[in-house]
Amino acid sequence: MTAIWKREIRAYFLSPVGYIFMGFFLLLSGFFFAVTNLLPANPNYTGVLGDITFVFLFLVPILTMRLLSEEVGEKTDQLLLTSPLRVFDIVLGKYLAAVTVFLLTLLITCIYPFILSFFGSVAVWEITGGYIGLFLLGSAFIAVGLFVSSLTGNQLIAAVITFSALLLMWIIDWIIQGVPTDKVSGLVFAGIIVAGLALLVYYSIRNLYISIAVAVGGAAVITIVHLLNPSLYSGFIVRFLEWFSLLQRYQEFHMGVLSLSPVIYYLSFSFAFLFLTTRVIEKRRWS
Amino acid sequence: MIQVENVTKLYGGHVAVDRLRFSVAKGEILGFLGPNGAGKTTTMNIITGYISATEGAVKVAGYDVLEEPLEVKKRIGYMPETPPLYGQMTVREYLDFVSDIKHVAPPEKEKGMEKIMDLVKIGDVQNRLIKNLSKGYRQRVGLAQALVGNPPVLVLDEPTIGLDPRQIMEIRALIKDLGREHTIILSSHILPEVSVVCERVVIINKGQIVAGDTPENLSRRLAGKSRVLIRIAGTEEQVRQVLAGAPGVKNLAAQGSVEPETVDFLVEAENEEDIRRPLFFAVSRAGLPVLLLKPVDLTLEEIFLQIITEEKEVS
Repeated sequence: MTAIWKREIRAYFLSPVGYIFMGFFLLLSGFFFAVTNLLPANPNYTGVLGDITFVFLFLVPILTMRLLSEEVGEKTDQLLLTSPLRVFDIVLGKYLAAVTVFLLTLLITCIYPFILSFFGSVAVWEITGGYIGLFLLGSAFIAVGLFVSSLTGNQLIAAVITFSALLLMWIIDWIIQGVPTDKVSGLVFAGIIVAGLALLVYYSIRNLYISIAVAVGGAAVITIVHLLNPSLYSGFIVRFLEWFSLLQRYQEFHMGVLSLSPVIYYLSFSFAFLFLTTRVIEKRRWS
Repeated sequence: MIQVENVTKLYGGHVAVDRLRFSVAKGEILGFLGPNGAGKTTTMNIITGYISATEGAVKVAGYDVLEEPLEVKKRIGYMPETPPLYGQMTVREYLDFVSDIKHVAPPEKEKGMEKIMDLVKIGDVQNRLIKNLSKGYRQRVGLAQALVGNPPVLVLDEPTIGLDPRQIMEIRALIKDLGREHTIILSSHILPEVSVVCERVVIINKGQIVAGDTPENLSRRLAGKSRVLIRIAGTEEQVRQVLAGAPGVKNLAAQGSVEPETVDFLVEAENEEDIRRPLFFAVSRAGLPVLLLKPVDLTLEEIFLQIITEEKEVS
């Protein structure tokens, strides 16, 4: 894993990718800092941190697009997958490399609040919380990007899909406001999820009986839950979508509240995508 | 050392490998011969654990590839058809990286790398970026990569493809040398290459084994067709008459004229005897100068045709 991590870090800075990421990140965050804090002489730095999350949308795809796509495109995945390394270690090494580059960049932006501290008091804890949140949020985005990168051998496609996926997560709070919250639509939505799951099972193992079993089992669970506690279905879609609302959790850090649950949320979100990535790579070798 | 047991691989509805079954003894060099698309690469990918078989099992040193992949991968050095190289690294950095992912202990790493670079003769390019190397060097770096960590089993997919004749000889000699301490599977679509290097040959076509034997036995089976290309100054009619009169000639095929006022003929012998001498004397007795006389190797396609027809006759 360390070997993969080391190679990826080198690769970032031997190709323009690392510099493009860092350069644009610092340029944009510097711009936000200048416009929000410096020019109007405003000491409220957390607003800048909030703006920086917007930068991720465009820069995370650049950071993650090549991670796995390039290996497949150049056929170097053959070296990694036939070496005595676990697939998860390969994925983790790559993930940590991207996170490291991201963290380095983030650390450089710590200069901004430092500059501010010369001119007045800064909210140290809010900013620290904001940075921790930013780091976790960015890491979760990187996990999504890594996952998408495992799906295709084309870097450009990986970048575009990652951008779309992140954009969707970005606007999910707006989508949530528009979805129906009544019981029937909740039930229908649960049905769609079960059907999707059964289809997924069918496409991954091509076994009709197991897929039907999944569908029937899922339907049974829906029915039992409905009989026991039908109120669970009102607002089900909202609760389901909220699970993907990465930004909502970020608000807490932003306000200087450091509680455990969003930390665990981000970590498990990242881990889930790393796990999915591992599955995708293993699955491709199976089919 | 390697057991391939009834391995089948399906790509959608297409059967890439069909109930393949063979084994390789310790220290043996097995040649894996077949035309493009016969399933050689697929089989090698399955043995090395890059892809999994749809059915069947592969065991390397007693470990099942699916159940204990890490134990198997530790013991195999794999050189895929396209060497898996990172263009932005120098040769040395690359081998260093490969040593790391193959868990070569640091004290042995430097020494091992030097030894390998010496062996495949890439020491002079060790500090150059891989993307700037010629095809021949890339191929050798690919081979070097397979040797890292000194694994007991080597799987080499067309190791001499894209090399110039001198390099091909060097690599063949190297592989033969490595065969003393390693178990090797080598794929190729060139028959002479396999017969020079390998102790045993498995020929596959359309995912199935069509023949498996030592190169000597194989060529004996195929020896009925010894053929010679001859170029003689003269008219086609004249030459045909002379050649037909020579002893031991079974078949004649005019190949047209390459040089002015000469004709080329493909002469097939009746049995495995060398017919070059009788041909020469027959032609010289007729007063015609022989400009070219060379034996023609069987092409792989012809071998397949022959083996497949043989099998049909048997069944």
